[in-house]
Amino acid sequence: MTMSKRLLISLAAAAAIMAGAGAQAANSEAGKVKAKEVCAACHGEGGNSTVPDYPKLSGQHADYLAKALRDYKSGLRKNAVMAAFAGALSKDDIDNLAAYFHAQPAAVSTRN
Amino acid sequence: MIKPTHFAAAAVAALAAVAPFAAAAQGAPTGNPAAGYQKTQMCSGCHGIEGWRTAFPEVYKVPKLGGQHQAYIVKALQAYKSGERSHPSMRAIAASLSDQDMADLAAYYAQPSLKTAAK
Repeated sequence: MTMSKRLLISLAAAAAIMAGAGAQAANSEAGKVKAKEVCAACHGEGGNSTVPDYPKLSGQHADYLAKALRDYKSGLRKNAVMAAFAGALSKDDIDNLAAYFHAQPAAVSTRN
Repeated sequence: MIKPTHFAAAAVAALAAVAPFAAAAQGAPTGNPAAGYQKTQMCSGCHGIEGWRTAFPEVYKVPKLGGQHQAYIVKALQAYKSGERSHPSMRAIAASLSDQDMADLAAYYAQPSLKTAAK
């Protein structure tokens, strides 16, 4: 294989990876706006809930948060309040909110 | 005559023995973080490993529990036990827990960050 062909293949691969990442990149800023509108009343500013029954979200894993919202929306996870809120969220809203809460100063941590 | 230190120890032991019943009378057991720590064997294999992913039925990182609200952790465990939440492993584990176990585990995980427990 010639040098230029190798370079071309590497470039194509890099472009493909970047395109993939772009398609999945959640928008934390958009999540922040949504969080203030929809979530903050119960889960607190930045997801640092002060209400014992409502979980702290700040610093939680994004994929876990997104799954929780999808499950509330689909009804797999049953909670009347969250079903209503999650039901009104789009797939992008969910990914953006998960990215936003994950990026906040962590209120929760992994514990042995 | 009873030495003061012995008396104090006996008083603490008596209070510790009575406390769970007093709480039970009000409905919900009071959690004991130290007792909770002794019950984390079933939890730490997943929740104790940073970034651990559950593999079934969906792949995602298991939630961080350290510093979470005690009341929420109890609610989550009850929801798994009742079937409101559906993760198979969590349903099986929560089904094996008593109300006292749930309260103790929640009290342990809810404590503000613990540096010694992580060792």
